[in-house]
Amino acid sequence: MAKLGKFHHYKRKDNIAGYLFLAPWIFGFLLMWLIPAIISIYYSFTDFNLLNTPSVIGLGNYQRIFTQDDTFWQALKVTFTYVLLLVPLRLAFALFVAMLLNQKHKGLGLYRTLYYVPSIIGGSIAVSIVWKQLFGNKGVMMSLLGLLGIQQKTSLLGNPRTALMVIVIMGVWQFGSSMLIFLSALKQIPYSLYESAMVDGGKPWQVFTRITLPMLTPTIFFNLILQIINGFRVFTESYVITDGGPLDSTLSYVLYLYRRAFTYFDMGYSCALAWVLVAIIAVFTVILFKTQNNWVHYES
Amino acid sequence: MEKRTMALLLSMGMAASLLTGCGGGNTDSGSTAAAGENSGAVTTTGAAEGGSGDAVTLKFTWWGSQSRHDYTQKILDAYTAEHPDITFEAVPAGWDGYFDKLSTEAASGSMPDIVQMDYLYISTYAKNNSIADLQPYIDDKTIDVSGIDEALLNSANINGKMAGLVLSTSLVTFPYNPEVLEKAGVAEPDSSWTWDDFIALNQKLKEAGVTDAAVINPTLDTNLFHYWVCQHGGKLFADDQKSLGYADDQILVDYIRMFKDAMDQDLVPTPDEMGQIDTLGLEAGPVVTGEGAFTQNWNNYSTLVAKANDKIKMVTPPTIGADDKKGLWMKPGMFLSISETSPHKKEAAEFINWFLNSETANDIMMAERGTPSSSMARDYLSNSGKMAPWQQDMFAYVDMAAKMAGETPAPDPTGMSEVNKVFADACNAAFYDQMSPEDAAASFRKKADEILTRNN
Repeated sequence: MAKLGKFHHYKRKDNIAGYLFLAPWIFGFLLMWLIPAIISIYYSFTDFNLLNTPSVIGLGNYQRIFTQDDTFWQALKVTFTYVLLLVPLRLAFALFVAMLLNQKHKGLGLYRTLYYVPSIIGGSIAVSIVWKQLFGNKGVMMSLLGLLGIQQKTSLLGNPRTALMVIVIMGVWQFGSSMLIFLSALKQIPYSLYESAMVDGGKPWQVFTRITLPMLTPTIFFNLILQIINGFRVFTESYVITDGGPLDSTLSYVLYLYRRAFTYFDMGYSCALAWVLVAIIAVFTVILFKTQNNWVHYES
Repeated sequence: MEKRTMALLLSMGMAASLLTGCGGGNTDSGSTAAAGENSGAVTTTGAAEGGSGDAVTLKFTWWGSQSRHDYTQKILDAYTAEHPDITFEAVPAGWDGYFDKLSTEAASGSMPDIVQMDYLYISTYAKNNSIADLQPYIDDKTIDVSGIDEALLNSANINGKMAGLVLSTSLVTFPYNPEVLEKAGVAEPDSSWTWDDFIALNQKLKEAGVTDAAVINPTLDTNLFHYWVCQHGGKLFADDQKSLGYADDQILVDYIRMFKDAMDQDLVPTPDEMGQIDTLGLEAGPVVTGEGAFTQNWNNYSTLVAKANDKIKMVTPPTIGADDKKGLWMKPGMFLSISETSPHKKEAAEFINWFLNSETANDIMMAERGTPSSSMARDYLSNSGKMAPWQQDMFAYVDMAAKMAGETPAPDPTGMSEVNKVFADACNAAFYDQMSPEDAAASFRKKADEILTRNN
């Protein structure tokens, strides 16, 4: 409480400066985020098509989503498959590389930078086009597999069964930001723990499962939440590389929402789709938070 | 515990930020599509005020290739030279993303004054009241339409409103590379050829070692299928546009079967191969480079690719033989529309008239936007002696096709792009062996009817 009193003392003086510093963010937040978000709730109950005067149709859009729209279920299936494959793979890979980089070695700084690069550029249009060329028909992968004697008529991207895998691999490749978070967490594990393990003759695998992993659980939890939310938002890859195809096998939820809004002018419906996704992610997040007592280990 | 509650709230916030997340994505793709927007922009000289005599800036957006961007800019410069008080802000773009961007502009009331419009979307925009009625400008002779065929002109008449001025006509055509045919020892087809001839011809080409015999994407849109339905005596859409216009699903089953067989024989690219060919762009396509023999396009194709290959010839699409019901139709190639929000509708209408009818504009355009709709422009170009052989071909094609053309169908119904999508989905499901052609045809009917009822 004493701390808080002191805080109040400074508070008045610093209030104005503080709010001024916050102002650009608050301005942007209200204008570009909160107000549009609230308006979109309203639109989700209307037949707004971008150009008409919207009239309220009650729960019509939501009813159509759940009862009449096959593509909604397909997009949901694709997005869930994507998230369920991507998140564990990306986290495992990020942790693996972080452990490799958490050593004292010459030139590690360079490697850390290099491994982070895909995360920065990975979501860009240019890289998506490169992946399209790599995995598309007559692309590099097809030629390589051809050299190995595996002749294919359809490319990996052209096959409805494998196209999503290519997009997942591209997502895993962008493991850099999770890797950096793991790396800093690894550095914070007290060395004394490892020392006592060494004294007790712990094997490397035991050290990993008994010390490293438990100490990392808060970080894993944080990364998990972050990556799940990011995973549900996948758009660029399926928009640029496959445009949702072949046969909607890579139609991500956000791409479908985009298409509804800007190709079919189904804006009210698309707002409803957006809020359904928000609800899905919220449910996921709450469930994860409920489970954390069982596996996340906080030291304090 | 408090910490955790806080973290939960923060996560919820992130989840909700999805909404803005996808909002950002939209803007990105829009601006990518309009790359090069600034390169062609003309700086304005004065404030844009209404009324004549004052300096006026007209914003003009169109889609097309780089060469179209270049010459259109020249046309705009020429107009400014003749009318110093009119300047332009040019917004060229590629076809991809053009209508995504236009819809957001229309919604926010910032639509450019003059908009190049496609048949696919004109009724949507007309019904939404975002484009202006041009009839008053036609009535007061600001726009001279005396050279335009009446049926063609009225293709932009949506519920009694002239939603655009038709600039050109297009007809479905099968362009081919005569050198490839000659090398393979195959005779060039003429208008009397049938689909059976088409398949047989491509089989010969295949045997002669041509990699891509017929570079045709049967599900690119519904135009080829439209032709197919009409030549079998049907209509693609019912008159009220609330459902499909043909009764027998066998029509689509046959269409799918024919192309599936052709794909299995490697005569036509599979959807997967087509995806790769599409990335090459028009001017580096197989038929232009000599790797392919036939393709399907519109009759300005030979002009569009003339820079890369000026030998391309065109033939009318195959018939079904003696029972053929004349499936071809004069499709309005593209329109120029004026936005309802434009403060300079009169000036825009004057420019459209000049763009359509003037010798200066046509001299520069040289029918790159398709065969001009105005007979004045056509006659002028034909007699000018400036036309290259491929342009003469394009004009000659209109005469050749006229013998095979039936009625011009009504403008595409609202929801057309969604119908095209479910058409491609249904056919591709059959091409990928995930559905029988019969099920695919039934599935297309069910989904298309649902879309048409909802939108019209």
